[in-house]
Amino acid sequence: MLLRPWRAGHAGKNHSKPGRTIPCRQEQSQAAPGRSLRRRVARGRAGSAPARARGACAVSPQLPAAASAGACAAMSGYGVEERAGPHSPEYRLFFKDAAGRYISPFHDIPIYADAGKNVFNMVVEVPRWTNAKMEISTKEPLNPIKQDVKKGKLRFVANVFPHKGYIWNYGAIPQTWEDPGHKDENTGCCGDNDPIDVCEIGSKVCSRGEVIKVKVLGTLALIDEGETDWKVIAINVEDPEADSYNDIEDVRRMNPGYLEATVDWFRRYKVPDGKPENQFAFNGEFKGKDFALDVIKGTHEHWKALITKKTDGGGINCTNLTVSESPFCCSQDCAKATVEAAPPCKAASPIPPEVDKWFYYQKN
Amino acid sequence: MRAPPGLSRLLLAARGWGLLGAMSRYSTEQRGRPNSLDYRLYFKNAHGKYISPFHDIPLFAGSKEDKEIPAKRSKTTGSEVLFNMIVEAPRWTNAKMEIATEEPLNPIKHDTKKGKLRYVANIFPHKGYIWNYGALPQTWEDPNHMDNVTGCCGDNDPIDVCEIGSKILSSGEVVQVKVLGVLGLVDEGETDWKIIAINADDPEAQQIHDIDDVRKHKPGYLEATVDWFQLYKVPDGKPENHFAFNGEFKNKDFAVEIIKSTHEHWKALLHKKVDGGTIKCTNLLVSGSPFCCSEEDARSIVQSAPALMNGDSVPPEVDSWYFFPK
Repeated sequence: MLLRPWRAGHAGKNHSKPGRTIPCRQEQSQAAPGRSLRRRVARGRAGSAPARARGACAVSPQLPAAASAGACAAMSGYGVEERAGPHSPEYRLFFKDAAGRYISPFHDIPIYADAGKNVFNMVVEVPRWTNAKMEISTKEPLNPIKQDVKKGKLRFVANVFPHKGYIWNYGAIPQTWEDPGHKDENTGCCGDNDPIDVCEIGSKVCSRGEVIKVKVLGTLALIDEGETDWKVIAINVEDPEADSYNDIEDVRRMNPGYLEATVDWFRRYKVPDGKPENQFAFNGEFKGKDFALDVIKGTHEHWKALITKKTDGGGINCTNLTVSESPFCCSQDCAKATVEAAPPCKAASPIPPEVDKWFYYQKN
Repeated sequence: MRAPPGLSRLLLAARGWGLLGAMSRYSTEQRGRPNSLDYRLYFKNAHGKYISPFHDIPLFAGSKEDKEIPAKRSKTTGSEVLFNMIVEAPRWTNAKMEIATEEPLNPIKHDTKKGKLRYVANIFPHKGYIWNYGALPQTWEDPNHMDNVTGCCGDNDPIDVCEIGSKILSSGEVVQVKVLGVLGLVDEGETDWKIIAINADDPEAQQIHDIDDVRKHKPGYLEATVDWFQLYKVPDGKPENHFAFNGEFKNKDFAVEIIKSTHEHWKALLHKKVDGGTIKCTNLLVSGSPFCCSEEDARSIVQSAPALMNGDSVPPEVDSWYFFPK
């Protein structure tokens, strides 16, 4: 049988058994500037190592020490600052730009890394093979990443056999918004009120909060609990095989079974929580790159209307630092106050063992 | 949980190594650096004595050597035979941890190939090992003995176990398992039986008694297991593996017969009735074995290993996912 191996080529994730704590190589090389020293996290964290955001609490990866840290914040120019401990309801991951200024990952990171080449920025919320449902908090100022809570409990995505956690690096494209007031003509449903989601299929397991550049390859039209929830399929431009990927067919060719597994995953992932199977537009078929680009552009237009107050965003927090035409633009002092109001960084809480359960279904 | 004073001290110590399960009679001691060539996990019994997990842990749980059987166990399992299992690799991890058969006291170590630390590949859709993986103590697949089922000689190791329960176990953990069936893998031309078992403490253990119950409760798991063993070495440039019985699983009774036979081979090994080659039969508790050693000898073996230090990180290439054409 012919094998088409993927090979990761960058410094990146560390993991051993879930629950083991191993400081990330990148974390060890990063130092925080003087002011943030008191927020630095103690060494040794419980919880699933792959879900660790790179860096200690207050990370300023623009410092020279971070330059050797490989494909992480130093390359993208963005950094993160953790508040409270991972896997707690108070946990927040705030974002900073290359100059160390607090920003919103929703509003202040440009949608395009290279508009001419259709290369987008992607904010990684969930590293591949982890379970914690981390997301950009759309309703809080500066939109930090936090763990989703349902019925008062921290959300962890189920392992639906044969899958373990999320089967891609999962995240969002900044400066996009699926408007709940707008009915999508393809799905017949209104938007889910979130930035557009991305499943990044590259070899490397990325870190929570990492900002990477991706090539869009296609999209799946999920209807999640009756709301339009496009899933963009993309690949990290740094992936060693990125040049071989230009459209959705390339995923079929290079990763047989991956697209089918993706549909399967989205169809069933909420069933262990007692929800029904999800539906799809286009019979669960993937649309190609050009279609995906159009969908993304549509959600970018919705975001522009949101950020300039042409659309009522309801509970969405549009506080931003860089969108000059936005009435929601605020000052760095205001941003700092937001972050400093959050609890200090702490060690991660252990992941409950029931998260390890594997759910089985009869094959259709 | 109340326990005699010595045991509770041990259990407290064991907590640090993630071994605080119900009634753990064994503990481990780490040496060297995790994810490095010098990492070793030595075993101690309930009395704090260094032992070999290969030779000194009874195969049958509840045997007369296995003194500290909680009353609860014999009530819930009735007449079911339970085996002790040594966990080497937790589900969903990649490091190829194994009992070092060629080192005295047979600690768990990280396997190497051509001088490099071995990590199992992620064979899509799988991530690392898809069960808690380990071995049954006091068993040995004799390389000088041709198995009449597989037509191949043994792989020179204790018999392997795939534990299918819900909980992710820890490397070095000793758990009591119910045997459910067996897969006849022929790995690179050697007999390599894979016992399918479930942790006796698993919430579903009371509904799962034989191989058909696995099919019922965990559809797809057995097929995935065959798939995994067929392909797992292909990323290393090895050919696909083959199986006896066309890759069909045999049931519990058959599995227990296989286990008993590998137990007999082990007995012959420990009593020097067969030549074990480079296998280290050093043990503390196998009465009548010419390889028995003293506690002091055992202690000096462990103490000559480097002290525990911070571990190395797992290389990023371990995260690669290998895809095969349909």
